[in-house]
Amino acid sequence: MKISGIEIEKLNDNLWEIPPFGGMIVPGRIYASEKMLTETIQNDEALKQVVNVAHLPGIQKYSLAMPDIHWGYGFPIGGVAATDINEGVISPGGVGYDINCGVRLARTSLEFDKAKNHIQKLIENLFNDIPTGVGSSGAIKKLSSKEIKRILRDGAEWAVQNGFGTEEDLLHTEENGKIKDADPEAVSERAIERGMDQSGTLGSGNHFLEIDVVEKIFDEKTAKVLGLFENQIVIQIHTGSRGLGYQVCEDYLKLLVQSEKKFGFKLPDKQLACAPIKSTEGQNYLGAMRAAANFAWNNRQIIMHLAKNSFKRTLKISDPELSFGLVYDVCHNIAKIEEHIIDGVPKKVCVHRKGATRAFPSHNNLIPEKYRSIGQPVLIPGDMGRYSFVSVGTEKAMEETFGSSCHGAGRVQSRHQALKEAKGKNLIDELSKKGIVIQAKGYKTIAEEMPHAYKDVSDVVEVMHNAGISTKVAKLKPIGVIKG
Amino acid sequence: MSYKFVEHPADIAVEVEGHSLEELIKSACLAWREAAMDLTSFNKESSKKFIFNGNTPETVLIELLSELNFQLYSKKWVFVTIQNLIIEKTDTGYYLEIELFGQTFHPEIHKMKEEIKAITYHQMKIEKVGNQLKTLIVFDV
Repeated sequence: MKISGIEIEKLNDNLWEIPPFGGMIVPGRIYASEKMLTETIQNDEALKQVVNVAHLPGIQKYSLAMPDIHWGYGFPIGGVAATDINEGVISPGGVGYDINCGVRLARTSLEFDKAKNHIQKLIENLFNDIPTGVGSSGAIKKLSSKEIKRILRDGAEWAVQNGFGTEEDLLHTEENGKIKDADPEAVSERAIERGMDQSGTLGSGNHFLEIDVVEKIFDEKTAKVLGLFENQIVIQIHTGSRGLGYQVCEDYLKLLVQSEKKFGFKLPDKQLACAPIKSTEGQNYLGAMRAAANFAWNNRQIIMHLAKNSFKRTLKISDPELSFGLVYDVCHNIAKIEEHIIDGVPKKVCVHRKGATRAFPSHNNLIPEKYRSIGQPVLIPGDMGRYSFVSVGTEKAMEETFGSSCHGAGRVQSRHQALKEAKGKNLIDELSKKGIVIQAKGYKTIAEEMPHAYKDVSDVVEVMHNAGISTKVAKLKPIGVIKG
Repeated sequence: MSYKFVEHPADIAVEVEGHSLEELIKSACLAWREAAMDLTSFNKESSKKFIFNGNTPETVLIELLSELNFQLYSKKWVFVTIQNLIIEKTDTGYYLEIELFGQTFHPEIHKMKEEIKAITYHQMKIEKVGNQLKTLIVFDV
């Protein structure tokens, strides 16, 4: 069939292929149900972007799209592409402006019944303790440029060394919260200045901190390894590298747009500007991007620690009574050098995941030892009124998607449409009737982020589950939300 | 000289136009400010001058808007009016010089509307339509 003027073939109920045409080096592959493809994916230019990404020099196997695919800049959001590290390119557009935007899930030993009367107060205190909103700052003292460079090198280790968490937290963070070969010197002074007072801040837009209750367990054995049980209170944190990461992307995009002639690439979209991975420009971007990723892990680590303290203070309980611990922290905007099997042979590639989560299987050495019997946790937040999911990665993900899965719901309405629809409604009241307490810097954010502005994340998770890419473990229901 | 915000699935898109490149760039600056700020109580207390060179008019426009972004979020300075603006075609591309009046951003008095992560290259193309120059600009928020 043809969607948005692009010929697309059905491979099975959850997978579709765009055969190569024009300058496409590889086919496009989209994980989606027919309903998603014809009702939402066709509404924007995401499929065209899957085609554009297939033009990238050195791209391997497929230009991939997860079921939460939507229109991004250069790459679609929900896009995955692996490029040969010798002949391929790296593209800041394949990572996005918010480098290492990601999610962390922390568990407590609290059960809903014991906490339900304190949610309002918890949300008030979390909102006061964690800076949120446009240009939010001041969670911790303003750091010097030297300290920021330490964060860029050490990631979440900086937070732990400065009293914002434990060694155990690092063990449960992708890359242990410190990706190797980060190069703070490749990060501009301008980027450092932009992130100077933003460590430990949530930011605005779709970023959030949420108190959830584990509503349903799909896989008891796996949930037990993750320390999850029904009616348990958990928290999710969704944020990234803040202004520092945005500036790194902007700096290198500018450089690579200007270098277009030097490299001689003919790409269909300026936002796909790229450099050979082994070029000076490519290596500098990789080093700077890794440094920004470390900044994001440190950011989420500090926020989690502030949240833990808010819980203890509000509920007047001790560490052992709260039994707070990080389940896992994943990034969903990043490029990583990984080894994957291509045409039956192990090959080093640069995997761009933009709005896509790593989903490595059990027995993989790159996931925490504790989880090697079950696979890597994949955290998939939904909207603030419905639910989020925890899944785990599989061997099939390694075979088909370079070990990647979906990352969230994706907008179905523009911010403007959502605002229009929210007129005359009391959204805080509506959420309250569903048992959800919300506090945000402004009502506009609540209106823009209202649940029906997003796709139903369960449709997205179901496609990945049925395709065998990441399998469901638990469903979380929000009961308290803070936003920018 | 004018601008109009248009529908975008996730971010902020604005169509800007002007009879000349100068007018179009001024419209773009005003559109950026409206998207980022609630400008109700500002004074012209200081001025800043910026110079940009780029291969295309789109490049210098993105650089200028990115600078406004940086000034707001990092330097906590927001422009109120555009004093002077020169854009010239050179042998190697385009030269843009701008002088702005503005003031320090005070969070207790002033209000930011959106955190604009970046000015994107997405669909930006300055074209002549009738007797006007036009382009779409998308702000990633």
